[in-house]
Amino acid sequence: MSVKNLKRKPGRTIALVLLTAFLALAVFGGSVVVLSLRNGLQSLEARLGADIILVPSEAQSKVSFQNMFLQGTTGAFYMDASVTEKALEVPGVEKAAPQVFLASLKADCCSIKIQVIGIDPEKDFTVQPWIARSLTGELGDLEVAVGCKVEADIGEIIRIYEQRCKVIARLEPTGTGLDTAVYCNMDTMNKLLAAAEAKGISHKITSDDDSVVSAVYIKVKDGYDIDTVNTALTGKLRKVTAVRTRSMITGVSDSLAGVSRTVTTMIVVIWVLAFIILLLSYVMIIRERSREFAVLRVLGASRKMLGRMALLESAACGLMGGILGVIVAAVGVFAFASLIESSLGLPYLMPVFSTVLLLAIGTILLSIAVSAAASALSAWRLSRVNPGTALREGN
Amino acid sequence: MILKADNISKTFFRNTGSANYFYAVSSMSLEVPSGSVTVLTGRSGSGKTTLLNMLAGILEPTKGKVLLDDTDLYSLKDDELSRFRNKRIGVVPQGRSAVDTLTVMENILLPAKLYEKTAPAEEARQRMDDFEIDHLADAMPRELSGGELRRMAIIRALVQNPDVLFADEPTGDLDDENTEKVLSALSSFAHDQKKAVFIVTHENDALKYADRIFRMEKGQIDLQENQSGESV
Amino acid sequence: MKKQMIPGCVMLVLALVISIGSLTFLSPCIHEDGSVGACWWAGRALLGLGCLLGVLALLTLVSGRARFGTYLSSIAVCILGILTPGTLISMCRMSSMHCRAVMQPAMIILFSVSALAAVIGVLLSGKGKA
Repeated sequence: MSVKNLKRKPGRTIALVLLTAFLALAVFGGSVVVLSLRNGLQSLEARLGADIILVPSEAQSKVSFQNMFLQGTTGAFYMDASVTEKALEVPGVEKAAPQVFLASLKADCCSIKIQVIGIDPEKDFTVQPWIARSLTGELGDLEVAVGCKVEADIGEIIRIYEQRCKVIARLEPTGTGLDTAVYCNMDTMNKLLAAAEAKGISHKITSDDDSVVSAVYIKVKDGYDIDTVNTALTGKLRKVTAVRTRSMITGVSDSLAGVSRTVTTMIVVIWVLAFIILLLSYVMIIRERSREFAVLRVLGASRKMLGRMALLESAACGLMGGILGVIVAAVGVFAFASLIESSLGLPYLMPVFSTVLLLAIGTILLSIAVSAAASALSAWRLSRVNPGTALREGN
Repeated sequence: MILKADNISKTFFRNTGSANYFYAVSSMSLEVPSGSVTVLTGRSGSGKTTLLNMLAGILEPTKGKVLLDDTDLYSLKDDELSRFRNKRIGVVPQGRSAVDTLTVMENILLPAKLYEKTAPAEEARQRMDDFEIDHLADAMPRELSGGELRRMAIIRALVQNPDVLFADEPTGDLDDENTEKVLSALSSFAHDQKKAVFIVTHENDALKYADRIFRMEKGQIDLQENQSGESV
Repeated sequence: MKKQMIPGCVMLVLALVISIGSLTFLSPCIHEDGSVGACWWAGRALLGLGCLLGVLALLTLVSGRARFGTYLSSIAVCILGILTPGTLISMCRMSSMHCRAVMQPAMIILFSVSALAAVIGVLLSGKGKA
């Protein structure tokens, strides 16, 4: 009976379904975006496992170091390799891991520039654990691991400054700029630097010194105040800026809070509006359907049966709307994930499948509940319809 | 089997006028016995439909009781009363009474389907054939004329096979030939199957089938006529 | 308007979006120095497929006799459209590039919806003949 009612009043059903679909779309899409941002922030925190990062003073202004992390813009800046050793001499410094950056020429392998990051597997404590999850063994000579956003298959050879590098691992997504980079060990990096030099791209600080680093990741010993160590490092090392990772993360989490506030407000506004529209439509339906319900009463349907029928119909509308909304939102959010990410400019990491599934089910249940709640008043009124008077009014 | 109304009255509230309520039906008693056709006539607005609704268990009287055999209709809970009405009281309401989302056949079998899985489809086909709407079984109500809808509602009540059948202006939209058919079907339902039939009408066609005639005016039963030769 | 023509209208609108989109907001990547990659050729192919789909959609609206077959061939065109970006013609290496972030998913969705419309068209126009 309910099914027939829905099927044979397609206009009414479609309108109600679309309305709930819109609700579900807003909730599901919005929550996936917010969750992805949260995930991205967590992932950023994990990958920035260092307390302090030392970069050349020029890096702060020249190529925003932060952008490299958040959006994967390419950048290269160098300082003397001795910074690592000197940093370790500062009291309170537990670990110091150097990294060397190099931006590929786009003509080489890809249609765009790619950030190449050289790490020292012996000393590294930030990127290495992440690489280890996708790669057993170590990065060998002219072997690279690629971030998930670099389209290259394992075993494929990519050319960087005419050097043929073999891809031996694809890394898990982090939602940060690290996903667009290519990783290699220091030996490979030195070869690449030399090749770049041959192409006229110089990394040298002084004409005689070949050994350079781009950033040094510092882990502070337990019990030492990070700020004190920071000041000590800045004092000791010239032309080097010490960046506290906390300040980067705080910056990101501030913008994240802003975005999620906006999204949440939007969801709430959409819900309030759509709920009011739903409520009004159901109230309007009371007039339209009071005659139908009066006939059913006359034929011996009890109030309970009628109330149940009205609620069942609206719940069915909610179910269909919820599913439709979730599907549309899922297609949009997942297909255009990179677009959303680049337009937000924040770390963005999709939640795992089970979370998404849970979210989808939750959204659908919520749509059913809201649809039923919006129709509750009308269901009650319709079930109390006075058959005698309602049938008369129709004449 | 007998349906009794014991001193029932119904008042409605009005917003205009000096008195803020009026009697649609003032205190009256009457009996509708099985095996007979009872006709209630009167001008429109005289309270006929209100009385029918109260007798049929659809409209609770302000005062008084309605008894079907020993059951006081309005002492039942809604669930019980609904089920009771579904089994024992059939109503052909005034005007259009089709459920628009169901086909004609589904409409006719609707009372049975409310509480049971099986429905007397064979009987429904037979009745539709008698009333010449058998070709409309799968049509939707909006495709039907007023007269066809009327016949559908009557078939629905007959197929329901109740002990008491109420019909409010059953011949309203019908031509002469169909009026005769409907009235004789209602009459044979009363006499052959020993059921009570109660017809409300302002037309005179029904009178010749009536065993008992009530005339209603201003909420009162004004006159009672017994047709000669028929037992009450 | 006949029921069987509705999918054709939907297809026509989508074909317009595909064709115009491939030249504007759904365009492939063009680098700062004006050079182009493989994705640019994918964009050209998509423009052609979009136009072809548009012509087929018009045909379903104009010719009642050829409708069934036209819808059927539209499905094939849509499948080609779905496969073109990424599968048949490669995109840029980086998934944050415009061709991978916007053009590819949008085109796949547009062609998928068109394919769905064409399937509905086949079902609707096939029914009358059976």
